[in-house]
Order: sequence, then structure tokens, then C-alpha cells
Amino acid sequence: MNTTISPLKIILFLLGFVIIGLPFIALLLSSLAAGWRWPDLIPASFSFRAWDYILFGSARTWQSIGTSLLIALIVTIVNVVLAVPAANALVRFQFRGKWLAEAILFAPIIIPPFVAVMGIHLTFLRFGLTETILGVVLAHLSPTLPYMVRAVVISYSTLSTERENQARMLGAGPLLRFYYIVLPHLLPGIAAGASLSILISLSQYLITFIIGSGQVVTLPILLFPFISGGDPAIGSAYSLMFAGMAILALLSLDVALKNYYKKKGVRSNGEGGE
Amino acid sequence: MASLHINQIEKKFAPSKTGQQAPFALGPIDLTIREGEFFSLLGPSGCGKTTLLKLVAGLTEADAGNILFGDNDLTKVAPEARRFSMIFQQPLLFPHMTIEENAAFGLKMQKIGKKERLLEARRMLAMTGLSGFEHRYPDELSGGQQQRVALARALVAKPRLLLMDEPFSALDPGLREEMRELLGTIQHELGVTVLFVTHDRQEAFELSDRIGIMGGGRLLQVGTPVDLYERPESTTVASFLGLKNIVEGTVHSRNFESHDGQISINTGQELADGRYCLIFRPETLMPATFGNQATVPSVQFTGKVSKLKFNQGTYVALVQAGDEMLECMVTRDQAENMEVGQLIKIFVKQSDLQFVEY
Repeated sequence: MNTTISPLKIILFLLGFVIIGLPFIALLLSSLAAGWRWPDLIPASFSFRAWDYILFGSARTWQSIGTSLLIALIVTIVNVVLAVPAANALVRFQFRGKWLAEAILFAPIIIPPFVAVMGIHLTFLRFGLTETILGVVLAHLSPTLPYMVRAVVISYSTLSTERENQARMLGAGPLLRFYYIVLPHLLPGIAAGASLSILISLSQYLITFIIGSGQVVTLPILLFPFISGGDPAIGSAYSLMFAGMAILALLSLDVALKNYYKKKGVRSNGEGGE
Repeated sequence: MASLHINQIEKKFAPSKTGQQAPFALGPIDLTIREGEFFSLLGPSGCGKTTLLKLVAGLTEADAGNILFGDNDLTKVAPEARRFSMIFQQPLLFPHMTIEENAAFGLKMQKIGKKERLLEARRMLAMTGLSGFEHRYPDELSGGQQQRVALARALVAKPRLLLMDEPFSALDPGLREEMRELLGTIQHELGVTVLFVTHDRQEAFELSDRIGIMGGGRLLQVGTPVDLYERPESTTVASFLGLKNIVEGTVHSRNFESHDGQISINTGQELADGRYCLIFRPETLMPATFGNQATVPSVQFTGKVSKLKFNQGTYVALVQAGDEMLECMVTRDQAENMEVGQLIKIFVKQSDLQFVEY
């Protein structure tokens, strides 16, 4: 192994630090500042006021994290259930109007969510779905489903029907075939789609705000008023909380996947992971 | 256990929209495969042999006719419920399972306990010479080893019928021979009924109890390897079996005469007058260079040696008789006494003459 550190590596590390690390340091400083005025490079005085408030002062923090994670989890599960059959149909069957089905499925990536949400809001008002978690979950499906479908479609297109036929000739019915042959093959794709689905759902502000009407409080709903002028210190602390929550959610997905592969005995040779 | 009956099975494929694929019709085909038999379907690519195999497997649905196993009508039974196993051209092992788990998959689907099915799997892996590989993964094995796992996996499930779709065609020649021998031994030992699809004559002749020759979506002739080789019923079958000495001519009052009149011989059998093709197997043509007189009723004609080819242990003499170029298998001694351009007499036993209708 070469132990000398190449200058390129140092430059890349510094670049990464400036782009990714520096904002976090600024956030951390801002959350700990008791007043941070121009032209001070670092705050003149520090206090744990903001952290004290969000961790102990307000019970809503933990509630909102719970709500955020619950919504993201349900959204992701529903996405998997919808995306697997959809991807199967898109990859394996030729049918009339296939392009239309694909266009509708992938439209939310291109069309701004706000446009759709205005219509969804009116409909949900009629069905009494506004201000409910169910309503927010349903509304979150539209921006997340396309990514899940996309990821699973890619997995499906690398799965030959021959392997399923082989399992069939060994006596495996449709459900067993799906469980033993198809699902293990789709899993990396599903994991990739799930990560995106969780992240997008967690970071939704507008959709949650309109459909939830302030009654469904996720972390972004709590965070937004503080950064848009309320209290920058608390806003910064909430932003860090948010980043921590997202990272933890992704890490647990990764751990779950690794455990699955360990149980199945597959070595980490690039089969798994996202 | 019982035999497989294929009755009047038919399948039509419409031409594809892009026009790349011509319309194709299979059958109607009748065939019975006996219990414990090794039966091969032999034919050029595109003759419908794989389609017929898939119909038997149930992976393709027949347009007409039915498939019986013993007294059970399987025509509408799903492939997974037929208790057949199939080996494809590719090993198609399940990449996320160990070799052992792969081999035990069929029994797992039959809900056999883990201990028992792994024991069976190991026994079969040992039979196919794969002891010590049980805990490996498919991608750690070579192509030949993978196909052996596929064979073990198919056999562990104790199939009522083993279907094989050109299973060795993706292997290189040396391995192919090795696998052929292994399959022959194991089939003999287990007594499993096999329906084997191949375009390789040698493979079919070496392994099969009976062979069905297919061409153009039809079953042309069924018989034992010796039967087919010595008594092909048509020129298509003969040429597919590699018999090149096919002479066209007419029979008139028990005398066959080739078109150019160069070969004129007594048929030795009762044949109605008309146009026929005469098929000579290369090893039945005996050059008379040593004055060796035949002891059984023979016929003879004259030809000119136009070429001598050495062919790993045997010589092939190309003899020009009129317009016909005949292949004639000769021994080394005979070949050494021959010269290109020499006129020789050729004897054929009357019983070795095979006439087929033109």
C-alpha cells in the first residue's frame, strides 16, 4: 500500500469539507449562539438555549419526529406494494397505451408538486382526508412513487424469465417463485427506491402543510417558521435534528438490508447495498 | 410411474409484426415415451423440437391435442404441478443460494424437511462429482460445474420425467463429452425417464434408447439409433443423419438405375416401379481392389477414385460414379493400394441397400 498522501486527495478532501462539512459547522455554531452579529466570525457568546428548547422545552419535537418517520415508513411500504406489480407490467408486458401509463407514473418528477396538490387538496376536503395522517400519506405518494418504480423497473429488466421458468419446473408456484427468486433479485432496487422514498417523504413541507393543514405536524412543519425569520438558533438546531433523523433512517435501512443478506449468507460482493 | 403420451399436439405461431419471424406450425405430433427410456428429439435449429419440449413441460400452451402421463391428462396442469424437471441450455442456478440450497430447491418446494432435503442434495451432488462444493455460491463455479449442479438439482426433485433442452451446447467439446458420459451413467443408475432435445447427432446417438428426428415442425421418423441410421425413411432424415451418398434413379422390374445409367443394380427386394432414392452408407461400400469376393448376395458398380481423405483412423475415398460423388469408407491397406484416377469396382451387400421414395 502506498502510504504517501497524494495532493489530489488533499484537495478533494478539502473541497468535500468546504461543500459538505462547513455548512454543518455554521449550523452548529448558529444553534449554539446567543446572538451572532456581523462582523463576528464566530458568535460572541454561546448558550444551549435553542437545544434546551427543542429537546426538553417542547414535547412537539419528538412527536413530530415520530409523525415524520411514521409517514415516511407507511409511504415507503405502500410504494413497494404499488411499484413491484407496476414495474413487472412495464418491463414484461407490451400493451396499448403503455407510453401513457409510463408518462402518468413519471409525471410527478417533472410537474411541480404544488400544481397537483391544489387539486388533491380540494378532493381530499370532500373526502374528509385533510388534516389526517392518511391524507398526508396519500399525498406523499405522488412525488415518491416515480423514484420507487424507476428503481424497481431497472431491477426487473435484469431478471430473466428463464430463471423463473426454471424454478417453475422445480415445482414452485407463483407465490413461492416471487418469494424465492424474484424478491431476492429485486431487493437492491427496492432498497434504492426505499431510500429515495424515505428521504423525499421526510423533506416534504408544502404538501404536508397544505393537506395536513397544520394539524399533521412533521419536523419540516415545525422547522419552517423558525428559519423563515422566527429564531435562527432554534431553526439551526431543528435543521441539525432533521439531518440526524434522515441519516438515522437511511442507516437503519442499510443495517436491515445487511442483516438480511447475512441471514441469507450472501457475501457483500456488491449484490446488496444501495 | 408410467409412460408419457403425446396425442395430436399442435401449436401455431403467428408471424411477428416486424416480419423477422416467419409463421411456424408444429405438428400434429403423436409420440409415446416409455418409462425409464432415454428419448432424444433430434433436428436442425428451428425445427420445433424445443417448442415440443416446452409443450410437454407446460411452459407453452398447445393449440390442440393433449398430453397424458399414464392416465392423467396433463394438458391443463400448470408446469409446477406436473412434477417434471427441466434443464435448460444455461445452468440458471439461483445466485443468492449456495450449491446445496440450489440442489435442494425442488424438495423444498415439495415441503420436505430441511435435514432430509439437504441430505438428498448432498447425495446427488456427490453423484455428479461435486462433493466439497456444497457451501459455495454459483458464481464461484465453472460453467461445467454449474451445469452439473443444474443436473443434480433437477434429479434431486425425483421428477417423473426429466426434460433437457440442449443442456450441453454451451459447454466446450471436452466438457460436453464428459457431461454426456456422466448423464448416461446417472440416467442408467436412477432409471429416470429423459426427454432430450439436441441438434448434435453424436450426442443423441450415444445417449439415446430411441430418437425422434424432427424437421419443419413435424416428427419425421422415430426409432432406435441403429434403425434410424440403417433404415432412414426419407432423404431428409438421411441427410440430417449425415448420409451423403444419396443417388436418385428409377426402379423398373426390380432393377435400379441411376439417372445417368452409371449405377445399375438389382434391388434384391420387391419394389413397385417408380422413382426412388438409393442411400448408401459409406461403410457398406467395399472397394474390390483386393479381389475380395463377397460371400453374400451383392451388387456392384464401377467408379473412379477422385480423392482420398485421411480421417482420424479411417480413410474416406471419394468415388466418382457417373454424376454421383460417393463417399466410401476404406481401411488403411485398401487406401494404400488406391490411386487417384484409378477405376475401381465397388461391392455392396444387397441387404445394405436402402431405397426411399423419391
